[in-house]
Amino acid sequence: MKRASRPQTCDIFCNVIDNYGDIGVCWRLARQLANEHGLAVRLWVDDLGSLAKLCPGADATLQSQHRRGVEVCLWSKNFPEVQPAELVIEAFACKLPQGYIEAMAAQQQNPVWVNLEYLSAEDWVEGCHKLPSPHPSLTLTKYFFFPGFTPKTGGLLLERDLFARRDAFLSDTLQQQQAFWRSIGMAMPSAETLKISLFAYENAALESLFDAWANGTQPVLCLVPEGRILPQAGLYFDDDAPRAGGTYTRGNLQVRVLPFIEQERYDELLWACDVNFVRGEDSFVRAQWAGRPFIWQIYPQHDAVHLKKLQAFLMLYSEQLSRSASQAVEGFWQAWNPDGTTSHSTKPSNDNGQVAGYSTGSGQAWLSFVAARGELDSHAQHWARLQAENNLALNLLDFFQEIGTMRAN
Amino acid sequence: MKIAQDLRAGNVILVGTEPMVILKAEYSRSGRNGSVVKMKMKNLLTESAKETVYSADDKFEQIMLDRKEVNYSYFADPMYVFMDGEYNQYEIEAESMGDSINYIEDNMPCEVVFYNEKAISVELPNTIVREVIYTEPSVRGDTSGKVMKPAKISTGFELQVAAFVEIGDKIEIDTRTNEFKKRA
Repeated sequence: MKRASRPQTCDIFCNVIDNYGDIGVCWRLARQLANEHGLAVRLWVDDLGSLAKLCPGADATLQSQHRRGVEVCLWSKNFPEVQPAELVIEAFACKLPQGYIEAMAAQQQNPVWVNLEYLSAEDWVEGCHKLPSPHPSLTLTKYFFFPGFTPKTGGLLLERDLFARRDAFLSDTLQQQQAFWRSIGMAMPSAETLKISLFAYENAALESLFDAWANGTQPVLCLVPEGRILPQAGLYFDDDAPRAGGTYTRGNLQVRVLPFIEQERYDELLWACDVNFVRGEDSFVRAQWAGRPFIWQIYPQHDAVHLKKLQAFLMLYSEQLSRSASQAVEGFWQAWNPDGTTSHSTKPSNDNGQVAGYSTGSGQAWLSFVAARGELDSHAQHWARLQAENNLALNLLDFFQEIGTMRAN
Repeated sequence: MKIAQDLRAGNVILVGTEPMVILKAEYSRSGRNGSVVKMKMKNLLTESAKETVYSADDKFEQIMLDRKEVNYSYFADPMYVFMDGEYNQYEIEAESMGDSINYIEDNMPCEVVFYNEKAISVELPNTIVREVIYTEPSVRGDTSGKVMKPAKISTGFELQVAAFVEIGDKIEIDTRTNEFKKRA
């Protein structure tokens, strides 16, 4: 049986570990494969509650439901007997149900089984991208697929129409932008106000940064979607229970708390702001597509391994910046990702939500960062265009074809 | 069963029904707490080699092989020659030496591994001591061991060591990961 050049069906498996990173990436990929490439996509998720946050309308109690062109299925312990799809994607090395693996091996023509790995800018990723991983006991091969920032990696998730939507939003001050600000209960800020979105884990560097904004000469509007940094932001204003809709002011800083935002609306937030603070993987990529200066808080790992990953990305991202702008970015990003030995614990907070360590350098580093904004603006746009050339969904589909050709020979 | 993370050059595992000898294993941390191991392995039946990658916790059936204590004798390109206590010689191709090449020294004791009576690889002790023959001067005041710098040992192999290590220091190296452990 000859394999089609493009798969007709795709199963994506997502094991939600914490936060919304895993499900964020899977949900985005599922919709893209279904809506842009016409695949019949089943998304198997073990925590539908997390999906419901990203996809209002999703029912966390249903075994199966169709949402935005994707069949969303609950991945429970008693996994049903199903016909495996032609393209099978396990996200972030989640372990597939044994019955499903055996069903894949029993197919006359094995599905193309891909492990979609975490995003990293480290050199070793290029050497592992698309390598086979033959099953230790079955006649079945999985392939590792690494997203990344260079042509020798799998690229990044980017919807076909994203840049057009972004540009339309940015050029439509009267309607789209004003509608956005109205939707979050605010009038459109004045031109001289620096608009900042803040999506972050708990961070010891926040207080110093808020001080810098409050005491600065330029008005700052900081939009904080509900999330892990919110309690800390509230405490800065002596509110131990900040909620969506809350507004706080100190000096030149105004903080507005936003409700948790679904994916499409989050893009608008990034576009509407001048500078974006992002975290983890999904929002990190979206900030790059926004073409605005951004600051990345990387997911903390044991033994501070994440700092190597941060440095690897900084090296790539800063390559074409002037020395001063490069130093400004590096200085501020490092202040925002404090080293565990000096100012931050490996886990961002303890069980009480208290932040370990301290940091006083972020406020100082901010001044250099914001001074470089002109160059960082144009660099961010250039970077977005450059990265857009390496589209993850298209690369996945090309890889499917590549494996088909290899098997046919 | 052995997990991928614990496999090292010279180990032989079953992949499907085929015995594969690990020629090289490189461990990398991916996201969150995940890790991957990139392995170059050779099929002992067909002699064909290939590169693969596994999650660090993937499990394999390890084939227990015959071993013999030997000493490294000499290099006759492309074979490394080892000798046992009864003066029997065993040859191993350079490609099958894995990272052992980084540490092999004349008369060094090690173990030759056999599959179907053929010497297929060599295994070194997990920890060995080597002298640093070149490194940049120490960073004054840093004794944490967290700041690293490159250092060369007598075989020419270069690895990262703690910033306080100096030329002439003897250091302990983990041969499974090629990592500096401590000053000996």
